[in-house]
Amino acid sequence: MFDILSLLDITFFLLAALGGLVGIIFGAIPGMTATMAVAVCLPLTYALGLNHGLALLLGLYVGGISGGMVPAVLLNIPGTPSSITTTFDGYPMAQKGEGERALRVCVVASLIGGLISAIVLFLFAPVLAEFSIKFSYVEKFLIILLALTVIASMSRNMLVGIFSGVLGIWLSLIGTYSISDGGNGHTRLMFDFLEPYLFEGFSLLPVLIGIFGIATILLEAEEGVKSGLAGKNIKFGKGGGFSLGIFKGRLTNLVRSSFIGTFVGMLPGVGGSAASVLAYTQEKNLSRDSSEMGKGAPQGLIASESANNALTGGALIPLLSLGIPGDSTTAILIGAFTLQGIQVGPLFIPENADTWYVMMIALVFANVVMFFLMFYAIKHIAKVVLVPKYILYPIIVMMCVVGAYAINYGIMFDVWTLLIFGVLGYLIQKVGLEVAPLIIGFILGGQAEVYFVKSLESFGTYSIFFTKSPIAVVLWLLIAASVAFSVTMGLKSRAKRRLETSQ
Amino acid sequence: MSMPSIYKTLGTSVLMAGMAFGSTAALAADGPLRGNVRVVIGSTSTGGDTYQNSNIVVDALAEHLDLNMKVDAVGASSAFRFLDRDPRGNTLMIFHDQSYLGYLYGVEGYEDIFDKYTIGPTIAINPGNAYLVPKDSPYQTLDDVIEAVGNGEEVRVAIQPGGVSEIGFSALKNAIAIEHPGMEDNLVAVNTGSQADKNQQLFDDQADMINGTVQANEQYTRLPEDDQKAMRFLWLTARNSTIEQAPEDGLGKTTREQLLQYVEPNVSVPMGNGDDFTFDKEFFFLYNKDMDPAIVDQIDQALTEIYAEGEIQETQKNSFFIPNFKPSEEAAEYLETKMSVYEDIITNIQ
Repeated sequence: MFDILSLLDITFFLLAALGGLVGIIFGAIPGMTATMAVAVCLPLTYALGLNHGLALLLGLYVGGISGGMVPAVLLNIPGTPSSITTTFDGYPMAQKGEGERALRVCVVASLIGGLISAIVLFLFAPVLAEFSIKFSYVEKFLIILLALTVIASMSRNMLVGIFSGVLGIWLSLIGTYSISDGGNGHTRLMFDFLEPYLFEGFSLLPVLIGIFGIATILLEAEEGVKSGLAGKNIKFGKGGGFSLGIFKGRLTNLVRSSFIGTFVGMLPGVGGSAASVLAYTQEKNLSRDSSEMGKGAPQGLIASESANNALTGGALIPLLSLGIPGDSTTAILIGAFTLQGIQVGPLFIPENADTWYVMMIALVFANVVMFFLMFYAIKHIAKVVLVPKYILYPIIVMMCVVGAYAINYGIMFDVWTLLIFGVLGYLIQKVGLEVAPLIIGFILGGQAEVYFVKSLESFGTYSIFFTKSPIAVVLWLLIAASVAFSVTMGLKSRAKRRLETSQ
Repeated sequence: MSMPSIYKTLGTSVLMAGMAFGSTAALAADGPLRGNVRVVIGSTSTGGDTYQNSNIVVDALAEHLDLNMKVDAVGASSAFRFLDRDPRGNTLMIFHDQSYLGYLYGVEGYEDIFDKYTIGPTIAINPGNAYLVPKDSPYQTLDDVIEAVGNGEEVRVAIQPGGVSEIGFSALKNAIAIEHPGMEDNLVAVNTGSQADKNQQLFDDQADMINGTVQANEQYTRLPEDDQKAMRFLWLTARNSTIEQAPEDGLGKTTREQLLQYVEPNVSVPMGNGDDFTFDKEFFFLYNKDMDPAIVDQIDQALTEIYAEGEIQETQKNSFFIPNFKPSEEAAEYLETKMSVYEDIITNIQ
């Protein structure tokens, strides 16, 4: 064990901290993600060597995932796809002048999520990897389906919400229907002349930033220029109204969401955004007082942020114990090993014990650094909302455009996507459709289709969805419970509305 | 917060973003290739062999030519598009046999590279293309598989359709059609995507054999037999002479000697013309057709010098690549012949 200590020096910790800082900046700029940060810095690992390289990359990973909360809360733009559910409660809080408080809740939740997942990774990686391969196409489809049920419970009007969700799924299916996914290799759902642009469908991030960020700006612009939140009651100083008391009674939520995040991260091929969506759904379904969620409840932030930071440890589980990356960022991280000529696979941990411990130390340290960097910087960051909007919005639009252009290494159509979905996001809110279900449909639709089709292709019968394994049965029960819950809640609130109107 | 300090904060963040984005402008070097050179690759993975090998070569080139060069993992369709629109030579591409196999298999987005682009030099081979079965599989050799299929048994093979992962499968199917005419349809392709998906098919018992690589699957072959994840190599598609050049220690804990058991002539997949089928996954440059021929020469020249120094071969071998430098003209001719062989196989089984 003491051998490990000799591998750690000041540079190691400085690099992890630097990674955390740069990662936070990447995460906080709409359109730039943790994945991008890791990709940009990957070639540096050549010069740095494996241990130092890993410290930097893991710092970037943790920082990048965490940084996404900042624009999500303050500007209603998810900085990374996995912070989408953070906007649901974060932005309403920021509008009420509680941006700083919201961010502090997020940071604490992130730290705990990150640490819980690191502990799980350290103690149970091989066992969990064994468990994760029990999830075949069928179980993965059911997980996605479970996450999709959140659409029903978060809609203001269930029918409209479900319609919006279906619309989102439809949008996600535009593009080439790849042969590997069970398709015919041709493009679909588009006009022929669009083929050169929509070959790979709409890119996720420009869609996200467009529909949240640009649409929000358009809606605000419609109201005319006002001078920011001036005149509103903004709570600054003394933690902005934050105290750890917010977490009282939220421990179950925190731990549950962290485990959900770790778990989803661990399943290869189930994207990171499913983690926070799933955690959010479960909090909404299981909590006793979920009626405020979506209107600015800290519990929503806790669920979302602890889950998306827990992804980091989770996604490393299959990477280090199967050689299979758990999400898009770890898929790039694997490059750090191959560039050094180290193969990751089922024997990685036993054969590279030093590297394994070094990674664990870097991961935990990066989480702690992220916490201190953000917790103390928040009171400055939160003041972004004080910047007059006629200065702030053009800057955000510029950043969004740069981010959209950069996300796929310079595709101009991604900038058009941003604009199209910005306008679309504005219009659908005008006609009364709901944005959140639509975007969740968009994020999860593609995966749902792939796993559904592959399940049928593999097993040839619909009944397999019910009979595949005990895990499938459990997932069906969760889905049924989630749907039942949404229906009851829907009926209750309708009865309440009727009662109010009749009085 | 006062206004000036807001500007300061904003200024700092913009500056930081700029730094994160920024690349230092390279000094113009002598020769036709100048400015920043972006080398796009046909894979989106930075953990894969294309990225790894391209990095080794591009780093050496950048140093030799004193240019700023960077590998970008943009994926096949984007890479072709980027290459199409830059005749200046500031965008180059590195890819492997997938570039013409995709065309032969009729995958959308692939065109005849020999017609549309200038073929640059080959740089290395990844000898790792492999086929594996579960460790407790009844098939001990590839011959067992051919026999079983010939006897009417269905054997399911997980592959990624439309290229490198499928070509060995096609050759096997072709061999069965030759030895057991009419029985080849019992060899069934299970179409999947990533290596993880292919492995998963084996764990779930949804496939009897999978396409994989020595690099990604070697550790799985060293697991004990009672482990659900344990696998066994049946066949490496590389030429015997290619594996011969691998380092003696092989990869991981599997030696070159052990790997040689799985290549021809120990494993035989006849093509019908007296030869056995082999497939070496080769990496090479692709250029925009309208690019200045002087740049083609410049890169050829530079790589000739780099390979003459002999250092790059060591780096490549350490990462389990087999160096295989051929200057542009030779490479184009060689690859075109290679394509015609595989074209025959693919037409045969259609």
